[in-house]
Amino acid sequence: MDAVLLELDAGAASKDGSQSQGVYIYRPADKIKSSGERPTKRRKVTRTNVPKAANSRPFVSLLNGDEEAKSIELRYRTYQQFWSAQEAKIKGILDDVDSEVLTNVLSFVRSTSPQTYDGCIPAALVTVGSNVSSLGRLLTRLNGQLTTTGEGGVIVLESGDAPNLKTTLKNIIRFGITNTEGNEGYQSFVTDREGPRVLGYDLDLLAEYVKRKEVKKLVLAFRDSEAFDPGILADLLSLLSSWLDRIPLTLIFGISTSVELFEGRLPRSTVALLRGRYFEIHEASNCVDRIYGRIQAEQDGKFWLGRNITSVLFEKSSDSFQTPEAFSRTVKYAYMSHFFANPLSVLLADDAATTIQRDKVCEALRNLPSFRRHCEDTLEEGCAEQVRKLLDDDAFLLEQSAQWLKSGQQKMRDIFQCVDMVQRALKQFNIVKKSSISDLSIRALAGELQTSASYEDILRAIRTLDSDQMKLFAMILPDTLTDSSDFAQIQADFGALLQVYKGTGPLKSGYDKQHSIVATTVVQQRVKLSKAKVKLPKENAEFTNIIDRFYALLEARLEEILIRPNDLVLHEIFLLDMRNPLKEVFSPRPRFAVERALSSPFDYLISSPGSSTVKVSAHQPAAAILYQLYLESGSLVNVHDLWQAFYAVFESEQGSSCDERTAMALFYRALSDLKALGMMKSSRKKVDHVSKTAWMGL
Amino acid sequence: MQPDTDEARPVSTPKRPRTTDAPTNGAVNGHVAREKTPEGTPAKKIKSTPKKPTADTPAALKASGLKTPTHKNKAKALFSTPTKQTAAPDTPTKARNADRSAKKKSARLLLEQDEDEIWDGADRLAEEILQDDDDTALQEPTPANSATNEDGVVPSVEAGSEEPAAGDAAAPTPKRRAGRPKGAKNKRSPTPEGDLPAHERYFFQNRAGPPRTSNSNLSKVNLLTHEEYFEKMAQWVDPFQEEKALLLDLHCRSFPQWDFEFDQGFNICLYGYGSKRRLLQEFADWQYRRHSHDNEDDDTTSTAASPPSVVIVNGHTPGVSIRSIFATIVTAVLGADIPSKMGSQPQEVLELLQSSLNARDSDSPPITVLINSIDAPSLRRATNQALLARLAATPQINLLATADTPNVLLMWDLNLRDQFNFVFHDCTTFASFDAEFDVVEEVSALLGRKGQRVGGKEGVEFVLKSLPENARNLYQLLLTELLSASDEGHLSDDEGEDGGGGGARGEDAAGIEFRALYQKAAEEFIASSEMMFRTLLKEFHDHQMITSRMDASGMEILGVPLAREEMEGVLEDLVLA
Repeated sequence: MDAVLLELDAGAASKDGSQSQGVYIYRPADKIKSSGERPTKRRKVTRTNVPKAANSRPFVSLLNGDEEAKSIELRYRTYQQFWSAQEAKIKGILDDVDSEVLTNVLSFVRSTSPQTYDGCIPAALVTVGSNVSSLGRLLTRLNGQLTTTGEGGVIVLESGDAPNLKTTLKNIIRFGITNTEGNEGYQSFVTDREGPRVLGYDLDLLAEYVKRKEVKKLVLAFRDSEAFDPGILADLLSLLSSWLDRIPLTLIFGISTSVELFEGRLPRSTVALLRGRYFEIHEASNCVDRIYGRIQAEQDGKFWLGRNITSVLFEKSSDSFQTPEAFSRTVKYAYMSHFFANPLSVLLADDAATTIQRDKVCEALRNLPSFRRHCEDTLEEGCAEQVRKLLDDDAFLLEQSAQWLKSGQQKMRDIFQCVDMVQRALKQFNIVKKSSISDLSIRALAGELQTSASYEDILRAIRTLDSDQMKLFAMILPDTLTDSSDFAQIQADFGALLQVYKGTGPLKSGYDKQHSIVATTVVQQRVKLSKAKVKLPKENAEFTNIIDRFYALLEARLEEILIRPNDLVLHEIFLLDMRNPLKEVFSPRPRFAVERALSSPFDYLISSPGSSTVKVSAHQPAAAILYQLYLESGSLVNVHDLWQAFYAVFESEQGSSCDERTAMALFYRALSDLKALGMMKSSRKKVDHVSKTAWMGL
Repeated sequence: MQPDTDEARPVSTPKRPRTTDAPTNGAVNGHVAREKTPEGTPAKKIKSTPKKPTADTPAALKASGLKTPTHKNKAKALFSTPTKQTAAPDTPTKARNADRSAKKKSARLLLEQDEDEIWDGADRLAEEILQDDDDTALQEPTPANSATNEDGVVPSVEAGSEEPAAGDAAAPTPKRRAGRPKGAKNKRSPTPEGDLPAHERYFFQNRAGPPRTSNSNLSKVNLLTHEEYFEKMAQWVDPFQEEKALLLDLHCRSFPQWDFEFDQGFNICLYGYGSKRRLLQEFADWQYRRHSHDNEDDDTTSTAASPPSVVIVNGHTPGVSIRSIFATIVTAVLGADIPSKMGSQPQEVLELLQSSLNARDSDSPPITVLINSIDAPSLRRATNQALLARLAATPQINLLATADTPNVLLMWDLNLRDQFNFVFHDCTTFASFDAEFDVVEEVSALLGRKGQRVGGKEGVEFVLKSLPENARNLYQLLLTELLSASDEGHLSDDEGEDGGGGGARGEDAAGIEFRALYQKAAEEFIASSEMMFRTLLKEFHDHQMITSRMDASGMEILGVPLAREEMEGVLEDLVLA
């Protein structure tokens, strides 16, 4: 420890020295800039309540730095308000998702004991599949339940905690005790005990803890059980089973592959020590879909994620495994970036009108592409005056934009209601087995839901509805579709018809298959199929009429509602639809970035014009030159030739002014860079050759 | 390489003879092919030239004449041909020589196309190269170039259209294959293979067969020493200072954004080419300033305005351990109250850290941990990354890590990624890795010349002087054994193809097995026990006077990092002393 302290002091003493240090606590180089006359030596870090408000504004001033503090504050508050609401929803879903498994596991833990299992260790095998984070949630909640009731606790072990048996035991004991007693409690437990001093990995400690605390259930969970060394696991289990009479253990194994594979890795003698049950946690995608649905389709929504973002979100969770937490974090980032970077997002706040700077905001509003488009459209319609007023009159513009905002948000809600309806209808009509709200949402957000196959399927299905189904279907229709007088009329007629109808089965419309006859006639040695409608009973004819009206109305309404959200005026404020910050931030391509930097350095180095057009030239950074020469070589590179080519680049452009030794120094540096980037390694195949290890673009 | 061809050609004298017959070639070719194509060229060949005109009406030619330049333009755009003024007409560059050979090669390639046509990319490239050649060749005899555009275009069109069908046209172009053995087509060419897709390029460059690289080596080149390298680098002025400063400044502007991301519980990972130490330093500075500034603003009365705790880790420093990182963070959290015993395992220190973080006020500012090069070899191991991920997952810890290598993402699986909770930013700085790497050392290691570090013969002799008699004797024995071994080995070396490696690398091949040396040492009464023997060797190891490696069978092989001549010199001095 002293060594570390010395290091620290040295770090504080000189900045230059810090370059060669492994770890140090940073102190600013110039003390003037750091506040006041704070002593320069390392101080004890005591904190009297520093007001939280001090750091509560991480947002920066936008609108060219002209944004006022008040407005920034409001933007930040709005963000917090919006996101905390969504976060609560997500948490609710996550809690709900595994609550079933939790109760099962909990009852398993409570009901089983070595006695009930003939001396075997009770073991719960939980398969998690790709949903790795769910086990963590489960265990945390299990631990919470067990500790609050005083029954015991959960010891979570990861493969990293088990490099060998001693350390594993030590960790188990420590985790077990600190879980309830805390770190100090553990220390005192180990030191202040009677009798001979025991070592940290002596299970006597845990047994005594169990006895003293009257622990009934101690759950030992192996989070990533496949990653444990089977040898250590076997030793550990045999050891634990011999302590079973003193420590009431239950095991939980988190399994990502399958129970068979897990069992296959363990020796039979070890497997014989275990007995238990098998639990399954559902895949993550289901959960992700639910979260998305909640976030977007709720009726109190004010801000939405657009088509591009949605597809990025789902691309990521379908292409690579993604936990629900990671998904919600990505959503969070989208919210963050909107409120952080869009000064107009302040208009989403409830009391925006009073706090905003009118002139700045209006200027920004007038620069929105959607506003411009709106103005152009209005002009074409011949309402030049209206446009002039929008452009000149700030108050009028603000008033208008508040209205647009409201109506835009309402339209978004309507769209999602329709999406919801379509999804439910799909389920009800059994048109597709698995319809996810995400696919439908992406289509709806692109304004393409009407052209999708499932939409057409639904409309087709509506025609063939019978009266019972019709009743059910009418119930799932959202308000936006139904609150018109036409619809009420149809409802009333439908009701009246049902009153009159005395038949036993449900009413069928004329579009039902039963009501058409397929006649086959042979005409000129060819079979000719002809469909003909049977004559319908009166009620059915009336019902058909109602269906027709309903169909027409529904189609018209849907057509009206399902617009492209990006056509809405001021959609930039309540709809975030940029692919890029999210994609770059969460699915980075470091390899591409490095390759790009080296192969076309002037993408990054904004330099004087002219030099950027030449492919390989001495005007580029040395590493870039070398990289491009390296790209042209085969899998084995002769360093001598590489150096000659490198030097030739300098020689040809700088002529006699080129210093060979300097060029070589640059060559050295570039070579070491490429080596550090893992692009070449030394080769034993030939003298002074290196082997190429990276191919661009792969 | 292609961009140079256009501008440099007009003055390239060696090409003169060809220019005269090029038009006739074209004409002959054109004639032959024009008759041939309608009848019976194989389907494949037609496929490769689907749009070429077969009729020679002027109209058709004109149409195609319009087509060809666009084709060429495309090629130009691809290779970004430089503008004319940058041409240096009087210095024949290597690039041009390479072009010339590329041209020969491509002509050959086209001629032997029947066997080769599966591989399409080279054909295209060859076509392009030849086409360029023909274009300029045609323009050369008419310097005035008053012969109208059409003259220039027409033959080039023909040339372009003929090449694929030129399987039988070997006779008219004998010059291009001069000096080439007929069966040499499978020979590897060092020239680029045209625009292959990346995976094709990989397989192309990795196909089986002996490596086709030249046998030249660096033995004649005077390699850099540390002193010279640093001297040269000190003199060198970076032409991109301004741009790099701009780039850095650009990244610095995202500091508030990073701060916000920290605030929202994300950790940050910066990637991209270039050292990011400076950037991190700036960020630490910025954080320091900003937060102390904040406190002054809002809370002037509070004297306890606390600076944010920033811990910086340099991943490339040798000997940085996870435990020391955690221990330093604990110090940053607890200040002077650190417990006397933190535990020797990193896990224990991490536990301590987490519990002490939990014990703090919830108001206290988070600890910022900046890790330079989280993908440095010493931190790269999976266990270390798992521990760092746990650190990152700790609330109240803000982790900002930088990654240099392109494949950094492979270090983290789903679980770790989840724990790290990284947001990634491209922070290409182009700054040199001076602080991170010992450049000369790295290059020496890359070239397998590590030993040059010791200071060569003089260094070894200097060390030997300070060692006891026994050690000197052992070293003498070792050298003798090595030299005699390499004498034997050298003969076989010369038989081999790459005997050019010679002295400088001789020591790499030669070595003596640990046991054998011990036997000899015992016989000579230098070391009476293995213990003693090892002690002596350790001294050599410490001064990097010997190398040791495991051979395939697991035996330890000892060697000396000196060139043969140097070894002889040292031995001589030892014997004479």
